[in-house]
Amino acid sequence: MTDSALATNPASETAASAAAPKLAVRDLHFYYSGFHALKGIDMDIPEKQVTAIIGPSGCGKSTLLRVFNRIYAIYPKLEAKGSIELDGENILDPGYSLNRLRSKVGMVFQKPVPFPMTIFENVAYGIRHHEKLSKANMEGRVEQALRSAALWDEVKDKLRQNALGLSGGQQQRLCIARAIALKPEVLLLDEPTSALDPIATSRIEQLVEELKSQFTIVIVTHNMQQAARVSDLTAFMYLGELIEFDRTERIFTKPGKKQTEDYITGRFG
Amino acid sequence: MPATEASIMSTDILEQRSRRDARNERLFRWLLKGCALIVLASLLGAAGATLWGGRDAFGTFGWHFLVSSEWDPGNDVYGAMVPVYGTVATSFIALLIAVPISFGIAVYLSEVAPTWLRTPVSSAIELLAGIPSIIYGMWGLFVFAPFFADHVKPWLTSNLGNKPDDGKLSWVAEHVPFVGKLFGSDYPFGASILVAGIVLAIMIIPFISSVMREVFQTVPTRLKESAYALGSSTWEVSWDIVLPYTRSAVIGGIFLGLGRALGETMAVTFVLGNAMHLSASLLDPGASIASTIANQFSEAAGLQKSALMALAFLLFVVTFIVLLIARLMLRRLASKEGR
Repeated sequence: MTDSALATNPASETAASAAAPKLAVRDLHFYYSGFHALKGIDMDIPEKQVTAIIGPSGCGKSTLLRVFNRIYAIYPKLEAKGSIELDGENILDPGYSLNRLRSKVGMVFQKPVPFPMTIFENVAYGIRHHEKLSKANMEGRVEQALRSAALWDEVKDKLRQNALGLSGGQQQRLCIARAIALKPEVLLLDEPTSALDPIATSRIEQLVEELKSQFTIVIVTHNMQQAARVSDLTAFMYLGELIEFDRTERIFTKPGKKQTEDYITGRFG
Repeated sequence: MPATEASIMSTDILEQRSRRDARNERLFRWLLKGCALIVLASLLGAAGATLWGGRDAFGTFGWHFLVSSEWDPGNDVYGAMVPVYGTVATSFIALLIAVPISFGIAVYLSEVAPTWLRTPVSSAIELLAGIPSIIYGMWGLFVFAPFFADHVKPWLTSNLGNKPDDGKLSWVAEHVPFVGKLFGSDYPFGASILVAGIVLAIMIIPFISSVMREVFQTVPTRLKESAYALGSSTWEVSWDIVLPYTRSAVIGGIFLGLGRALGETMAVTFVLGNAMHLSASLLDPGASIASTIANQFSEAAGLQKSALMALAFLLFVVTFIVLLIARLMLRRLASKEGR
């Protein structure tokens, strides 16, 4: 019991992250019309660090990510129990407005999905929903977001062209720009490079590195090397349970659990 | 040398087979081409036949046939203005009513409705599309038009029209241009351009909404999720993401409905009033191309018959112009999106 409490609370180990966690997950259960997909998850995600969630397919890692911005709520028959506190407020409370939550927690999906609009409109679309900006301010915000997503130089001359004309890697960076344009506090990345080639992948990883000074990043990945490269903390999940959660270097060098070791050494999954 | 023999035989068979395949392929292509040509041939044939049949009317009245609102079989003078206006006006009203309602139905069924409700409601809509138009016409004539004359029309004429029963003009009729003319009427009957438009709207809603529902379901889930993740509401996702994504198919569905509205005969004949009289009022009776042909063709001869043929040709032209406008609209929307 002491062991697992330690394992799921890596913040206690380092003085730097002794501050309150950005996201505190407490006894989280999730059900897909009866199927028990998450079984009592407890974890503290520290601010402005990259937390990776790894595990074999179907372990619940994407499900966990999708609870953090309550995107699951657009489907019927899905239910989350327990609590997730964002800066001390429970986001699973029905009283916590979805609008507010989604302006604070941005999300990027597996496959790049630009909206059927121009590049400029793709970024401006989300901002417009939350703020009324003048034309000049909007242009500034869009440029800033595209620069942060390391896309500005490639698209500055074709902002009025359709976003579907960009390459896959550029589209994915556009999706990141679209998410960070809202100035969220937390950025959720759901296997953001699984549909990209190695060069585009390394650009995205580089970008994650740059973005962590501004955002708390949670990344789900099935690629263990990626988790090792980009994250500060790694959580290993298996069959809906959080097996181990610790500093990344520790997970990959001296895992505390047999299952974690088996997974990262490729013995299953 | 049995091995060589076998290989000679097999090249023989192979050659035979490739010859046969090539022949079948040619045959199949000709067959497909023939099927496609039948469509073209029937279109040109129908347009040509009506134009040929209407040559007397076009020859006698020239351009006057298009702009004249006179239709007088007694004096053998014919103009197409009234039926052309009636056709366009009733179809336009039908679209104005049907498109927003169909959009609502489709969004509800594809985004909002609980799963158990989706299939029965969708089947119900498809059943509605299968009801013969004569049934809609009877319902319009015996039920809806009298109801409209008793309960809706008096309100419209006295609150919006320029010919109120008590003689006092309402504020709207006095201050908003055109509205007074649109809703002023002396006729006591229900049958009118507006009623025909409403009945047509009811008839085309099943077509438009089932096309919309089908294409809305093709929108990738992850596209909608990305918009929801930015904080968009269901309305915003439907309007800003789903609709642009399915735009060309949606416009296709709308024009399928419009095509039916333009050519609809029986229901319109029942509720349009069949008056060969041009009026700005939506509450006055009128005539459409299809209803005029249906009403007069059996007794027409000579120039009148030719005039009716010419009307039929004009229906082609109107439909063609409408399709052209649809194409232009699509192209302008596409350039707005940077394609």
